[in-house]
Amino acid sequence: MAVTYHLELFPEHKVTLLLFKDVKNASGLRKKAIDGTIDGALLNPAMIVDPLQVLIAVNKAVHLHLVGKMKTRNLNSEIIFNLSPTNNISEAFRKFGLSDSDSGVLVVLTDDGTKALNSQEITSHVDGQQVPLAELSQLTDITKVRKMYKLTTEEDKIGSVLDAVICRMAVKDIL
Amino acid sequence: MACQAECESRRRSREYLDGLQLMKQGAEARVYRGKFLGKAAVVKERFPKTYRHPGLDEKLTHRRTAQEGRAILRCRKAGIPAPALYFVDYVSNCIYMEDIEGSAMVRDYVTTVQEKGGNLCHLAEKIGRVLARMHDEDVVHGDLTTSNMLLRPPHQDLDLVLIDFGLSFISALPEDKGVDLYVLEKAFLSTHPNTEDVFSALLNSYSASSKKSAAVIKKLDEVRLRGRKRSMVG
Ligand SMILES: Nc1ncnc2c1ncn2[C@@H]1O[C@H](COP(=O)(O)O)[C@@H](O)[C@H]1O
Repeated sequence: MAVTYHLELFPEHKVTLLLFKDVKNASGLRKKAIDGTIDGALLNPAMIVDPLQVLIAVNKAVHLHLVGKMKTRNLNSEIIFNLSPTNNISEAFRKFGLSDSDSGVLVVLTDDGTKALNSQEITSHVDGQQVPLAELSQLTDITKVRKMYKLTTEEDKIGSVLDAVICRMAVKDIL
Repeated sequence: MACQAECESRRRSREYLDGLQLMKQGAEARVYRGKFLGKAAVVKERFPKTYRHPGLDEKLTHRRTAQEGRAILRCRKAGIPAPALYFVDYVSNCIYMEDIEGSAMVRDYVTTVQEKGGNLCHLAEKIGRVLARMHDEDVVHGDLTTSNMLLRPPHQDLDLVLIDFGLSFISALPEDKGVDLYVLEKAFLSTHPNTEDVFSALLNSYSASSKKSAAVIKKLDEVRLRGRKRSMVG
């Protein structure tokens, strides 16, 4: 059910995405992510349109991490920050990170080849139902996404919501 | 330390790009085609020109990369078609973007239609409308040619996409927009002989679509006159 991707620019890196719904311990999971028990980025799946959106954020985070130019503390927080269209860090966490009241969670695990990536261990922390990543679109809240990224109807004429979202993520630091 | 990390980053980028298909080798940039994050992508790599001053050059290359990213976003937000952006790497000055798969350059499309004796009016009108909207957003492209416009397939649908915003800038000045059109006119008429009527259809469509066209066309006329005077003298 988990899907693992490779990043072309960082061949030694692997990215694994796991999706859960009916999650009852979001608050506990969040604490574990903060204290490091869970080494992953926990996302609110309502704000995610497509796995590509996450891969774009991870690719940029790994790049900035390796050149020492991250805006946040670590790779996991940088992934969450990169999803946001703005440079406001606390807003990024509020909107894209898991919140205590969320019932779905998208877990992003990155492995630079030095960790024994263990998605089973993550699964054991989640009190909820793991579902195939393909079900992500059922958990997306397009209205919230459109509002967060300030999508325009003009833009709908020339491309998808996903295109609009990733463009904003790609250039937010140079606006 | 920082240099080491950046050198390492450049090396990784180089290694990846060398595995892609080189589409174009220009004076300031190379354009590659390949897979990125599983998608069909085009990567544009700007490199330093050796004859320029190294420090200045680095700044220029960096600025063009940023300008291109910014202009593409600004255009897309306003509904002006440009490739979607995937990633901008300021260490290697690379822009990763959507590959407009199966697209044709407007240059080649025009040549083909001309050979077949077909009509280019609809294309001219379409280009005029898109450029009018771009200028109304105060985006000046800086390098308008029929090679910097693509048509998504099926090409006869005239689904136009603008590319190559490396020389673009934001300006509300009619003069800048007039020069933008002048550059296109020069390129258009020299690349495609006997297309004066096509280009004037383009300008008519531009004028009809843009709210601010009168001042721009006036400037275009002035720039043409200046150009002509210059060629008479020199
Ligand atoms: N996003 C794209 N999709 C497809 N082809 C492209 C794209 N960007 C550039 N090209 C092609 O590469 C050539 C050089 O790109 P440029 O240097 O940006 O003008 C163009 O004339 C196109 O044929």
